[in-house]
Amino acid sequence: MKKLILTLFIPLLFVSCGDDFTNLGPLTERNVNNFYKNETDFQLAIRGALDGLQSRETFDVNFVLFMEMRADNGANGGGATGLAASLEQLDTFTDLPSGEEISATYNAVYNVIAGTNNIIARIDDATFDSEAVRDQIKGEAYFIRSLLYYHMAVIFGNVPLQLDEVTTPDVEVTQVDATAIYNQIAIDLEMAENLLPETGRITKWAAAALLGRVHLANGNNSDAVAPLQRVIDSMQFDLVPDYADLWGAANEGNIESIFEIEFITGNVGEGSSYTDNYTPLGFGGVGGGGAPQNVTDDIIGAYEAGDERFDATIDTTDPANPWVRKFISSPAVSSDGDNNWVELRYAEVLLNLAEALGESDAAYDLIDEVRDRAGLGGVDRTPAGGTFDEKLLQERRVEFAFENKRWADLKRFGVAKSVMSAHLGIPESQVTLLFPIPQGAIDVSPDNMTQNPEHQ
Amino acid sequence: MRPLVNKMLRVASCYCLIGVFLFQFGNPSNVRAQLIASSSNSMQVNSYYPVQIYKNSIPELQSLISINKENALLKDVLKEIAKKTKLGIAYNSELQVLNEKVSVKFEKTRAADILEYVLLDTEFEAAISSTREILLIKRKTATDNKIVEIDISGVIRDAETGELLPTVSVFVKGTSIGVTSNMDGEFEITVPDDSEILVFRFVGYKELEIPITGNMTNLQIEMEPDLLIFEDVVVVGYGTQQREEVTGSVASISTEVLENIPVSSFENALQGRLAGVNVVEPTGEPGASPEITIRGGGSITASNGPLYVIDGVPLSRNSDLQVDIQSQRGSFQAPKSNAFSSLNPNDIESIDVLKDAASAAIYGSRGAGGVILVTTKKGNPDLNRVTVSMYGGASSVVNKPDMMNAEELIAYTKDARNNNYLQEIERGNQPDNPQYDPNTNAGRPDVANFLIPEQYVNWNGTDTDWLDVVLSSSAQQNYHVSASGGTDKATYFLSAGYLDQEGIIDGSSFSRYNFRANVSYDITDRIKVGSVTNAALSNHDRLPANAPYFGQPPGIIYSALVHSPVVSPYNEDGTINQLNNQSYLGGGTTTASNPLAIRDFISEEIKNNRLYGNIYGTVDINENITFKSLIGYDVDNYQSSFYRGTKFLYRNQTSPQPFAQSSGANGFNWLWENTVNFQKTYQDDHKLGFLAGYTAQKQTNEVNLVTANGFVDDQIPNVAGGIITGGGVNESEWALVSMLARLNYGYKGKYLGTFTIRSDRASRFGSDNQTGIFPSFSLGWRTTEEEFMKSLDIFNELKVRASYGVAGNFEIGNYSSISLLNSVNYPENGVLFPGSSLATLGDSELTWETSYQTNIGVDYALLSDRIYGSIDYYSTITKDLLLSVNVPPSTGFGSVLTNIGEVENKGFEFSITSRNMVGKFQWSTDFNFSTNENKVRKLGPNGDPILVSGAAGVRHITQIGSAVGSYYGYVVDRIYQNQAEIDADNNNAPGGDYDLLAADPRPGDFRFKDVNGDGVVNADDRTVLGSYQPDFIYGISNRFNYKNFDLRVFIQGVVGREVLNLTSRHLLNGEANFNAYAVLNDRWISENDPGNGKYPRADRSTGTHGNNNRVSSYQVQDGSYVSLKNVQFGYNLPVEKLNNFARKARIYVSATNLAIFTDYIGFNPEVNLQSSNSLTPGEDYGAYPLARTVQLGINLEF
Repeated sequence: MKKLILTLFIPLLFVSCGDDFTNLGPLTERNVNNFYKNETDFQLAIRGALDGLQSRETFDVNFVLFMEMRADNGANGGGATGLAASLEQLDTFTDLPSGEEISATYNAVYNVIAGTNNIIARIDDATFDSEAVRDQIKGEAYFIRSLLYYHMAVIFGNVPLQLDEVTTPDVEVTQVDATAIYNQIAIDLEMAENLLPETGRITKWAAAALLGRVHLANGNNSDAVAPLQRVIDSMQFDLVPDYADLWGAANEGNIESIFEIEFITGNVGEGSSYTDNYTPLGFGGVGGGGAPQNVTDDIIGAYEAGDERFDATIDTTDPANPWVRKFISSPAVSSDGDNNWVELRYAEVLLNLAEALGESDAAYDLIDEVRDRAGLGGVDRTPAGGTFDEKLLQERRVEFAFENKRWADLKRFGVAKSVMSAHLGIPESQVTLLFPIPQGAIDVSPDNMTQNPEHQ
Repeated sequence: MRPLVNKMLRVASCYCLIGVFLFQFGNPSNVRAQLIASSSNSMQVNSYYPVQIYKNSIPELQSLISINKENALLKDVLKEIAKKTKLGIAYNSELQVLNEKVSVKFEKTRAADILEYVLLDTEFEAAISSTREILLIKRKTATDNKIVEIDISGVIRDAETGELLPTVSVFVKGTSIGVTSNMDGEFEITVPDDSEILVFRFVGYKELEIPITGNMTNLQIEMEPDLLIFEDVVVVGYGTQQREEVTGSVASISTEVLENIPVSSFENALQGRLAGVNVVEPTGEPGASPEITIRGGGSITASNGPLYVIDGVPLSRNSDLQVDIQSQRGSFQAPKSNAFSSLNPNDIESIDVLKDAASAAIYGSRGAGGVILVTTKKGNPDLNRVTVSMYGGASSVVNKPDMMNAEELIAYTKDARNNNYLQEIERGNQPDNPQYDPNTNAGRPDVANFLIPEQYVNWNGTDTDWLDVVLSSSAQQNYHVSASGGTDKATYFLSAGYLDQEGIIDGSSFSRYNFRANVSYDITDRIKVGSVTNAALSNHDRLPANAPYFGQPPGIIYSALVHSPVVSPYNEDGTINQLNNQSYLGGGTTTASNPLAIRDFISEEIKNNRLYGNIYGTVDINENITFKSLIGYDVDNYQSSFYRGTKFLYRNQTSPQPFAQSSGANGFNWLWENTVNFQKTYQDDHKLGFLAGYTAQKQTNEVNLVTANGFVDDQIPNVAGGIITGGGVNESEWALVSMLARLNYGYKGKYLGTFTIRSDRASRFGSDNQTGIFPSFSLGWRTTEEEFMKSLDIFNELKVRASYGVAGNFEIGNYSSISLLNSVNYPENGVLFPGSSLATLGDSELTWETSYQTNIGVDYALLSDRIYGSIDYYSTITKDLLLSVNVPPSTGFGSVLTNIGEVENKGFEFSITSRNMVGKFQWSTDFNFSTNENKVRKLGPNGDPILVSGAAGVRHITQIGSAVGSYYGYVVDRIYQNQAEIDADNNNAPGGDYDLLAADPRPGDFRFKDVNGDGVVNADDRTVLGSYQPDFIYGISNRFNYKNFDLRVFIQGVVGREVLNLTSRHLLNGEANFNAYAVLNDRWISENDPGNGKYPRADRSTGTHGNNNRVSSYQVQDGSYVSLKNVQFGYNLPVEKLNNFARKARIYVSATNLAIFTDYIGFNPEVNLQSSNSLTPGEDYGAYPLARTVQLGINLEF
């Protein structure tokens, strides 16, 4: 009997599987446990971060809503229901902390930032064949993180400054204001400028140009001079002679371009949405888009007579339905445009430097350099032409129309409330300078996160 | 049993010895007969039955055959007889007598008589061996004839009614000797003297065995109807139990209710049949999967479905092997094709549902949702039979909603535009216009939302019923053939089936071939082996019918619902109208594709091949201990192909966007299970059972996908015809290692106890937390075994049960505990390079979700089982919920799956079966009723509610104190009848504005409720509006039998369920952008014509006026219903009057979903668009309607 029972249990011994039997890792998905080891991993990781800049929640759609449509150049059509109604709310300062666009952007941006945090935290310990590549990727990670934090500071203002890798959900969240963010990314960008190469997808000049912009945003205009000057002194960039040649897929990577987010068409999920959102139905087969952008009468009226930028920017063939020409692509396919997003171009460096220098002949010269390309004469340097700020803001408005600069400009020049109040016919008190912090971000850390005062 | 086996063995070996002896000594005079057999098989022949004696008792000898031979050799004549009687033949060819010439001429004569005739002049007579061969034996002389035959005769009656029972099988146990009782219930049989037991077998009655004690005549046999439910065997995990000994909560259903219902899967047939088992048919698509929840859903993130164990092997639904349509939004994906339609309902013997943790805990980490144990049919020794069943049927839509016709829609549309325009004039946004005409566009400004579509101003008389256009009647057919039977040592059940079900939308269909082989063989007295094999090939032609009209692809049903009746489905040339339809009405109407274009130009085909089963062996170590080893396997393969053709135009697009997707998926699962079972009764009173086991299971899945576009024509309607644009591969696996044990103890059959424990180690959980332990116990007291109850004589069974147990849920992703990375791409100078972004944050502590379940119940039977049933109360608390908890987004992640939160389900279940009338006219009723209350007790670290975006924004809340996934929004109070009411509200509001979400409400608009009483309506006034969880569900089944007729009527219903009818966002919104539910004809028109008070005024711009279409109780509608689910009328053909062409033959007519009585205005009151997401249940955003099916069928048994 005993023997029998022993015989019986022998098969059981065979299946007494060791721990390995249930220690199974992903087979077709990379996972953090075995990633961040070598150069290839970091190439993948940095491209993952760059991909995050292409997403609908960042540069493809939502930054257009927050940085441009919010201001007085673009407008949502209005009268719509459903999704379009929430766009109208963003346009008219009636948006709520529960809005889907702000939370989508907030979450997506921090996801990309977390990717760059991991790169920065782990890259020094990884195996690299080339130290130059290590430096480049590290610099790129700093640059991407800074670019996104700049947008977070402009859009939301008071957000957590997460710079470390997250390995557990129990993270202490500390809200900081925009100044703290600008201070941090100014440091990061200097580091990035030192690490980055002179050529490549992100160059040291891109870091310097962005650093200049960040200093201006932070009110440290004098600090902005040096990095902007370094871009100019690099002699790598110049204005494209004809403003109209800045636009369209064929003109990408031109002499004026400092940093572009790349999109390609071909239905591989890498196309951009600018064409559909800025182009009316009937042009090229798509139109209206998921986040339709109309041209306001304001911006049409802002152009001086003879400004060559007008025709390159706005099509008024149908006076009732003007539309933005900058993002035409052909053939036009829904959400699959070939157009890159040009985030930094030389004209901005020139006007940023003018701003950093403050009213001076040097500054007027820089403005005139941009006006000259537009076929306009020099700016009126006398007080009769308005204040320096007015003239600079006006120039920026028409030069960078629909390039996501306007909302930050209005805020930086301190005129956001007055301009938007006049534009929308609403009281200034209703014009909020910061977007609401997404309700979800507050709900999950109620003790550490507070809503922006204007939205309380 | 054991003495009998011994005896048989003894007899068998005795005959063997005789055979050896004969061959050794060759002296026939020493024995009773000489076997005239070839030497090769003589050793195996161990008993035989002389024809003369047994001619009335062996069915083959009674078969009527015709034979006509002149001067033929005797052996040829014998062979001919053997062939015609389907008997074998064995003889020694050296026998002279075989070559003698005989002449025979018989017409339809009994085989026995012919055999006797041809051997009349010889010294031989015929006999039949136990292996059914004709033998020749030496004719016995009077002195040798020591064999004593026993004659038995008698009459058989129903024990209760005294009715005579014809066609009862009467046979000697373990032999082929048997007769059938005649129309008067009489039988006569001659049996060998060594026969021990006579068996009486009749369907619907308990098998009866009587010992043979010698000649027995005029036996009065009484057979008990087989309704004594408590003596049934119940399948429990890893074994079976007598119903009377079960102390957990187990519901069972037998094969007969599953048969003859036109469903592709047994799960549909379970609807309404079992208390506490909630079966929902969210869609009527052929081959789609119903959803089953047992005792409510305890889980939020993980699946709430039960574990399916088919013939002892836990099988996965493998829904991740079915790939989503890449162009479609996640929340609009069609429901998955049913994983268990691979199992033919006709092959099922019984289904047992383990409802409480005490019974389900033996399945440990997978038992929390209950366990459905399916047992397929086995061959029955001594009952060799062939069954054929087939039916054909026709289906049409049931519960079609009432939509507006052209005239109604025109009036409604004008009303909406006029109200909008007039209000804008009043608001000063438009100049007053003296030319205004409510029926034309004269003088109206060119604002789309003011304009009446031209085709409404000048209606050309077209009045299309779009639902009639897309819905048609459809056919279905089903065939099933099985052969089963066996011998003492071997049993077999073989079957083949074919089902072809067309959907009520042309082009959708489901067809299935399936094949089954269940066999077992006793190698020795102690070692037994067996195998179960199921192979199924199914083909699912699917259409996009479940999505909204703006899905990608758009839904056929929803596109038909919204389509205006004033447009024609076809162009004049007969082609599908895609350029002059709803999309081209203008005047601010919403665009939609022609549903016929969706139907004809978009296709999806899913092919599923599934092979599963097991191979097992058991060894009886001694009379108390059995060891069993089982290997189970499941190979599940899907191929699917989606194609959106070049002719299809999406809404108002004028150029097509062809797209194709092709995917293949393969899942392989293996299981090895070893169990030891010990059973012993001590001192007659203490019955002890012990089970211990060790199992390992592993599943590997591979899925790949290719997408293409750029098609120039439809010549090659799959990815091969276009430009490949993308693809991907996903592989994943899980593994589970478990140990389990169960102890059953019964004292005098009175006090019963069961204790189980299982430990599971699963790969899905964090490396630190992979092992879980799941104990349970249950106790029972059969009060009817107590003397004081016996004397009462009311109950013949009254068992009180109580149980407590712990079960788990591991239904989460395979790698949720590990931080994963996404694969992405980024272009550089136009060339794509791969990249990785952060996808999820893993929790290495992740572990089971654990359910603590308490059950108290009573099983009762009254009046000799005339009435029986169960009553149960249960309470289940699910803790450590696998919950996607929101984390600070600044971590880079939205949520992380972790163990937190608590959900409670409690409810009451009642079932009763009553045999209302017995005797010639029989009527019995089954009734079951169950309630379930689902409540969240704890959530997240701070208890924050979970608001989840479903298919149309945030409309669901999961919060403490409410049911999981409750509907959430504003509450409609009533309709403002006049401006004074609106002004009164505003005057009372603190800021002078009552409704902050309505810019300018007018009479006819909804007044929304100020829920928190602060004087204004704002976001704080959103509240719970109802839930998909029903208050109770019930089923009533009535069965009537009279002579050869039978009638079954099955009614099933749900009370207190609400549906989130998202179609009313469009079809009831008052904007008149497209067609509408006809109930809006009763809308508010004016204070004097306020309609029925439920529907607000028409207003094209309600969003900027009264905002009637906000997320509110207006879209939450009552989904209670009563369904006349199945009515079946059958007739058993009198086979004895039809030359006994079959053993049994039944023809029937059956109607399923005959009628649904409900207030729900859509098609299907239990629609559930996202059935896989428990946080957003009950959404109707266009679903494939249910069908009413009438079928005609026949079941034959040979």
